[in-house]
Amino acid sequence: MAETPKKATRSLPKSKQSRHQNPTPSPSTPIPPTPQSLAPPRRSSRLISSPEPLPSPRSSRQALLISNPKTPKKSIDQSPSFAKNVKNPKRKAGTDSIDCALSPVSPDRYEVEKRKKCIEPKTRVSGKLKSEGKKKRVYYRKVVYDGGEFAVGDDVYVKRREEASSDEEDPEVEECKVCYKAGKAVMIECDDCLGGFHLKCLKPPLKEVPEGDWICGFCEARKSGKEVVFPKPPKGKKRVRTLREKLLSSDLWATHIESMWKEVNGSYWFRGRWYIIPEETAAGRQPHNLRRELYRANDFADIEMESILRHCYVMNPKEFGSAKNEGDDVFLCEYEYDIHWHSFKRLAEIDNDEEDGEEADSDEDWKSCQDSDSDAEEVEYEEENRNRLFTGLSKVSQLAANSRKGRTFGLQKIGMKRIPGLVRSHKQTELERAKATLLLATLPKSLPCRNKEVEEITSFIKGAICDDQCLGRCLYIHGVPGTGKTMSVLAVMRNLKSEVDAGRVKPYCFVEINGLKLASPDNIYRVIYEALSGHRVNSKKALQLLNERFSNGIKGGKGDNRPCILLIDELDLLVTRNQSVLYNILDWPTKPHSKLVVIGIANTMDLPEKLLPRISSRMGIQRLCFGPYNYQQLQEIISTRLKGIDAFEKQAIEFASRKVAAVSGDARRALEICRRAAELTDYRIKKSASLLNVASS
Amino acid sequence: MGRENLAGEALILLRSRLCNPKFVFSPFSDSADSNYSKLKFILSSSVTEACNNSVLLLGPRGCGKNAVLELVIEDLLKEYPDMISVIKLNGLLHSDDNCAVKEIARQLCVEHQLLFSKMVSFDDNTQFMIGMLRECGLAHKTVMFVLDEFDLFAQGKQRLLYCLLDAMQSVTSQAVVIGVSCRLDADQLLEKRVRSRFSHRKLLFLPPSKEDLQRLIKHILVLPTDSSLPHDYVVEFNAKLLNILAKERFKQIIDTLSNSDSTCSNLLRFLFSAVCHMDLKSGFLLIENFKAALSSIQRQPKLEGLKDCSILELYMLVCMWRLEVREQDSYNFNSVMKEYRSIHDSFQTSDYYARNVCLRAFEHLLERELISFMDHRGHNQSTEFRPAKLLISYHELYQGLKSYRSCPAILQKLIDRER
Repeated sequence: MAETPKKATRSLPKSKQSRHQNPTPSPSTPIPPTPQSLAPPRRSSRLISSPEPLPSPRSSRQALLISNPKTPKKSIDQSPSFAKNVKNPKRKAGTDSIDCALSPVSPDRYEVEKRKKCIEPKTRVSGKLKSEGKKKRVYYRKVVYDGGEFAVGDDVYVKRREEASSDEEDPEVEECKVCYKAGKAVMIECDDCLGGFHLKCLKPPLKEVPEGDWICGFCEARKSGKEVVFPKPPKGKKRVRTLREKLLSSDLWATHIESMWKEVNGSYWFRGRWYIIPEETAAGRQPHNLRRELYRANDFADIEMESILRHCYVMNPKEFGSAKNEGDDVFLCEYEYDIHWHSFKRLAEIDNDEEDGEEADSDEDWKSCQDSDSDAEEVEYEEENRNRLFTGLSKVSQLAANSRKGRTFGLQKIGMKRIPGLVRSHKQTELERAKATLLLATLPKSLPCRNKEVEEITSFIKGAICDDQCLGRCLYIHGVPGTGKTMSVLAVMRNLKSEVDAGRVKPYCFVEINGLKLASPDNIYRVIYEALSGHRVNSKKALQLLNERFSNGIKGGKGDNRPCILLIDELDLLVTRNQSVLYNILDWPTKPHSKLVVIGIANTMDLPEKLLPRISSRMGIQRLCFGPYNYQQLQEIISTRLKGIDAFEKQAIEFASRKVAAVSGDARRALEICRRAAELTDYRIKKSASLLNVASS
Repeated sequence: MGRENLAGEALILLRSRLCNPKFVFSPFSDSADSNYSKLKFILSSSVTEACNNSVLLLGPRGCGKNAVLELVIEDLLKEYPDMISVIKLNGLLHSDDNCAVKEIARQLCVEHQLLFSKMVSFDDNTQFMIGMLRECGLAHKTVMFVLDEFDLFAQGKQRLLYCLLDAMQSVTSQAVVIGVSCRLDADQLLEKRVRSRFSHRKLLFLPPSKEDLQRLIKHILVLPTDSSLPHDYVVEFNAKLLNILAKERFKQIIDTLSNSDSTCSNLLRFLFSAVCHMDLKSGFLLIENFKAALSSIQRQPKLEGLKDCSILELYMLVCMWRLEVREQDSYNFNSVMKEYRSIHDSFQTSDYYARNVCLRAFEHLLERELISFMDHRGHNQSTEFRPAKLLISYHELYQGLKSYRSCPAILQKLIDRER
C-alpha cells in the first residue's frame, strides 16, 4: 500500500504484452556488465534459485490495486526528513534474514579496474561501427521498453546478476512486520529499520501517525541492548523482500540513465551512472546516513535495457523532504562519491539546472557522431586516470591544475574522506535559519521591489532578439552598488531561458563578463570569442575574428546565427586611454548582421557623458537607472527573505532598513546588518549556555 | 640540586612562556568579550553553517592581532580536521593582483596536492581559484584567506578583493576573508563596489588596560606549583614576586613603560629582558632586574648624548630652554649668549667662557643634533645669526642633568626653579 495506484497500473499490467512487441526478445536476460566484480561470497550465500527475470504475479497486483489507503506521512520541514512509508519485514530471527549491519565493502582499486575493462570493449565497438559507416546507433530521449517508459534522466533498478534476481515474486506491497498481512489499514514506517507496522499491531496501538521521527519498539529494544525476537511469519508464507530491500542489501543496483540508444542489431542499450549504497563506500555507513540514502558515483557503464527492473526515484534532499506518495522506491541522494579518490562531494543544485538547460538546447535526435566523440574522450580520460592510479603521477598526466588544460584532472581530487557528521545531523535553530537566509549568497525565490526594471529589461531583450535585424541595441544600466542591477539582469535571463525551453522564444546565446575580473581591457575580446566559439586565441586575433563575424554576418554553422546577448558588468573598467575597446564593442551592434545586444552595467550615472562623443552616441540612448532602495523596499526585501522564520522583531527590521536607506540604500548592507545582528544574538545565547554548562558541571 | 640549577630551570620555563603566544593570550580566551572568542565564533560558524564571511582585524601593531588569529586557526584546525584550508597573503609581498592570484593558486595547489604551473595567466588563475572555491564548498571545505597588511591590498583597482568577495556571493562557495591591518580606517579605503560586498565585521584590538597588564604580568611570571621545580622554591619565588608586584616602585616602572608603548609585544619584550637580568645566584626576581630591564628597553639616545657634553654645553642648553620657557619663539646664538651672560651676572658662576669658546660649544651641539636651526633658509648667514631651536625635551634635559657626573648645582637649581 505504499504504492500509489497510478504507478502500479502503469508499470505492471503492460509488462506481459509489451514483451511480445519487443523485436528481439532475448530469452536469456543479458547481464549488466559491471556488477560481477563485487565480492561474491557475501551475496552467494543469499542467492535463491529462481531465475525468472521479471516476476509479477497477477495476484499480488490485484491485491495492490485494492489496497491503497493513504500512506501516512510525516512532513518535517527539515530537509533530510524521512518519507514515511510502509514496509515489509526486513529483519527477523529467521534463516533468510538480512544482516543489517553489513560490513562496509569498499570498491577497491581492483574492482574499479575491472569495471573499466567491462566498459571499454563496448565503446571500441561503437567506434568501429561508426568507421564502417553502415549503420549508426540511434539515440532516443524516451523509450517504451517492456511496458515501462524510460526517459533520459530517470533512475532505474538494474539486475545485478542473473541468479540474483532471486525471489519468487516482486512485491510492491509491504507487509506488516507483526502480522505479515498487507491489508487496508494504515501502516507506519520505522525510521531506523524501515520496517512497516500496522498502527493497530503495535503495542500499545497507535491512533494516528505521530509527528516527527518514530522508531519501532524492536529497534528501541535493540538499541538498549536487549535481545529482540521478531514475530515469525505464519507457516507457509514466505517472507518477501521488496526491490528496495534488495538494493539496500546490495542485491540490486540503481542507476541514472544518461543516454539511450538502439544498437545496430536492434537491441536497446543505455548508459547508466551508478548509485552506490553507503555500505559500499570506503567510509562505510556513517552514523548520520539515512536508511534510504544513496550516493551518486562518478562511474558509468553501458547496460542493455533488458536488465532494467523498474523505476525508482532518487531525489535531492529538498524533493525527498516533500516526497509524499511515490511509494517504496524513494531514495535520497545528496552526495557524489568519487570511486577513484574515495571522497564525497555535495551535489550542486545549480549544476543540475545548467545540465537541464543544455539538454533542452540541443535537439531531440542526437547525432551519433557527437556522442561517440564524447565517448572517445571518456575512454581517454579514464585511461588517464588509471595511469595516475597505478603508476602514480606519470609523465603523461602531469598537467598543472591551474592551467586550463589540466583543470578537469585536478579538481576531482577535492572531496571529503568522510562526510562530517555535524553538517548532516545538525538541527538549525530559528536564528541559524535566519542567518542562512540572510546570506548574500542565497538567492531569494522572488525579487521584490524591482518589478518595473525587470519588466523593462525583459522587454528590451525580447524586442532585441525577436527582431530580425536588431540594430544598435545597447542598454546602459547604472545605479549605486547593492541595488540589484546584476541580479535583475540574471533573473531576466533565467526567465528567458525557461521560455526558450518552452519554445516561446528563439534560442540565443548569453555571454556574461565582469570588467573587474579581466586582467586587462583587451582581454575582453578573447573572453567573448571563447564564449562564442569555444576556441582560445590571443586577443588581437580574437578582435579580428569578432570584427569579421559581426560585420559580415555568419555563413552557415549550427547555432551560430543565434542572436547574442553580451552582459558587461563594471563597464567603467573597460575605459582605456583611447577608449578603443568600448568603441569596438559598442560599434558591433550597429553592424547590419551582427545580431548582438550589449547590456552594460556600471555605477556612475554619467559614464557615457565622460566618454568620447562617438561612444556616448552609441551607448547613451537607452538607459535604465536603479535608484537606491528606500526604507520600505529594504524592509520588504528583508521580510520576504525572513518569511516563516520568527527571529526578528518588526521594529528591528525597520530600524535596520531606515538606517541603511539613510546612508546608501544598499541592500547588501541591510542584509549584512541583519545577519550580523542575528549572529550577535546567537553568540550571546551560545556563550551564556556554555557558561551555564560550566557552572552546572 | 643547587639553587643555580633551580633558577636556571625557572628561567627556561619563564622564557618559553614569554615566547609562546598561546600561553600569553590564554587568560583572554575564555571570556565572552575577548576578541579570541568572538573571532572563533565567526570563523567556526562559517565552517559549520557553510556561510561566507569577511572580517577585518584592526588595531595598532603589537596588539596580538596575528597571534590571536593564529591561535583561533590552530584551534579550528584541530576541531575540524580536514575541513579548513588556510591561504595566507601579505600585502607587502602580494599587493600586485597578478602575483596575489598566482600565490593563491599556488597555495591551493599545495594544500590539495595538485600540480601547479607558474606559466599561467591571470585569467586562468582567477578561474582556477573560483573553480576551487566551488569544489571546496561542495566538499564542505572552508577556505580561509588571511590577508595581512590589508590596507596595502586596497591600492589600485582592488581587483583581487573584488574577485574574492564576489566569489563569496555564490551559494556553493564557503570561504572567509580575514583582513589584518593596523590602519583603523582600512574599510574606508575600499572602493564602494568592493565595500558593498564586504560584510563589515570588524574586530578592534586595543592595547591592554592597566589592570589587564597587571594580570598578564602575574599570569606570566608566577611559577606553577605543579611543575618539576621543588615546591618550597616555587612558593618562595612566588611570594617574593608578588611582593614586588605590589610595590609602588614597580607600578611606576610599569607606568613609565606603558606611557611610551603599552602594547603586549612591548610588555613581553620588557619582561623578557627583566627575566634575563635575573640573578642566578639568588634565584629570585628582584625589583632591580625590572629597573635594569626598563633602562635597557628604553634607550634614550638624547640622554646618552648629554652624558659627554661639556659643562659649557649644558649651560647653553639650559639657557636655550629658559628662553623657550619665556615664550621667546625664535632666538639665535646671540640671544643665547645674552642669556648666558645674565645668568653669570646674577649667580656669579665660576664657569664663564669667552664668546668664541661659546660659539664652538654651540656648533658642537648643532653637530650632535641636540639643537638645530629653525629653517633651512639663510645658508649664507653665519651661524650666530641663524635662529635655532632645542631638539631635546625638558624631561630629557632634566634627567640628563640629574645623571650627569659633575653637574654644577646652579644648573640643577635653575632647571628646578623654572619647572
